[in-house]
Amino acid sequence: MAETKQPLIGLKWEPKLPGLSLDLKTGSTRSKTAESSKSELVDGLCLPPNDPRKINKMIRKQLKDTTGSNWFDMPAPTMTPELKRDLQLLKLRTVMDPALHYKKSVSRSKLAEKYFQIGTVIEPAEEFYGRLTKKNRKATLADELVSDPKTALYRKRKVREIEEKSRAVTNKKWNKKGNQSKNTKPRRN
Amino acid sequence: MRPPVTGGRGGGGFRGGRDGGGRGFGGGRSFGGGRSGDRGRSGPRGRGRGAPRGRGGPPRGGMKGGSKVIVEPHRHAGVFIAKGKEDALVTKNLVPGEAVYNEKRISVQNEDGTKVEYRVWNPFRSKLAAAILGGVDNIWIKPGAKVLYLGAASGTTVSHVSDLVGPEGCVYAVEFSHRSGRDLVNMAKKRTNVIPIIEDARHPAKYRMLVGMVDVIFSDVAQPDQARILALNASFFLKTGGHFVISIKANCIDSTVAAEAVFQSEVKKLQQEQFKPAEQVTLEPFERDHACVVGGYRMPKKQKTPAS
Repeated sequence: MAETKQPLIGLKWEPKLPGLSLDLKTGSTRSKTAESSKSELVDGLCLPPNDPRKINKMIRKQLKDTTGSNWFDMPAPTMTPELKRDLQLLKLRTVMDPALHYKKSVSRSKLAEKYFQIGTVIEPAEEFYGRLTKKNRKATLADELVSDPKTALYRKRKVREIEEKSRAVTNKKWNKKGNQSKNTKPRRN
Repeated sequence: MRPPVTGGRGGGGFRGGRDGGGRGFGGGRSFGGGRSGDRGRSGPRGRGRGAPRGRGGPPRGGMKGGSKVIVEPHRHAGVFIAKGKEDALVTKNLVPGEAVYNEKRISVQNEDGTKVEYRVWNPFRSKLAAAILGGVDNIWIKPGAKVLYLGAASGTTVSHVSDLVGPEGCVYAVEFSHRSGRDLVNMAKKRTNVIPIIEDARHPAKYRMLVGMVDVIFSDVAQPDQARILALNASFFLKTGGHFVISIKANCIDSTVAAEAVFQSEVKKLQQEQFKPAEQVTLEPFERDHACVVGGYRMPKKQKTPAS
């Protein structure tokens, strides 16, 4: 008598994976792709790699970029042109006001360059009348500096001085006026 | 309508001078504020702690309310710098929205929507802040540390130390004066990592059941026998290989001798008590004739590696 096919009892689940088909009789997987897929897939399931270095790399990618617990996990902000401008202004603030002198900020760690936050000062009650009005409040440090009348005056004065210095020196002969020029006749009294 | 502002008493008694006086940020310097001769006096000349400066006119500094600043990490763990038109030392506020002694705050909105707040740390009111700005190499108080603070007063500096150690750390604040202790206890109600102890620091046995072993002792008692007080507390609570920070006021120990000689004698006393002072900084721009000494306690001897 011919051997009849026995119906397979149990779960009949086949993973829908590209290049993989499950042989139900033998229970083995036939791979259409190269051997590399075999190493990563165990019974048709994707498991994390055994190599601890690879695991650490994956974890590091998932974590946010922060300063760490020593500075309460301060996050690194996404760099925008406005932020870059503010940071540049902060480096060049020594030239903004002649009255203020700053320490050279040479930080030992490079934390300051990468991790920072932009905040707004909240004044105490006693300085209620000294605060910036809503009209004067700006979104960035650069805008604040531009709108400050004191710094604007100083900036204008400095620009004028530089322009005067760099103005091309004209020929002295052309600057002669009145009696000194050759063309004018001497006046008779 | 003008907000109600009441003038305080100024600092009370012997050590209250620190908490009084009209010194704030501003002026020409980066960490500005002029020095006032009548610190903490409640008479006609002293302004007291919270007295108004008069209506109108901007505050003396460039850090006006509403202005933008950049907050970045300082080289000391847990401490930050706010950079704007002026610089300021700041600590991350453990209780956002609450000011302890009417100090300026800096509010930051993160990209993920969370709000963080920093409090400005005034070096004219805190000797620890003055030491940091004076360039001390290591204060040893960092997030997660356990600190015993001797001479806590009203808790202005204690609040910043509490911010510094964070929720994982702990600050045991010892203050003998009941009047100052009241403010200290009120501050500790909001800060879960501060344990106020209203006891005399000369008798650590009285509060030995409240305090565990600590990593750092900060002493600001301004007493002639402060080296002995520190040694006594260290023998009870400071772990082997722990560290100490002590603020020395020359006038309190011997007003007839030069300040440098007083500091030297105090360092010698500390060395006799198993302390190993590592560095000494003067608090000069902020406090007159004050020094801060930092070092270790019962430091383990370094093992000599045999030359191969």
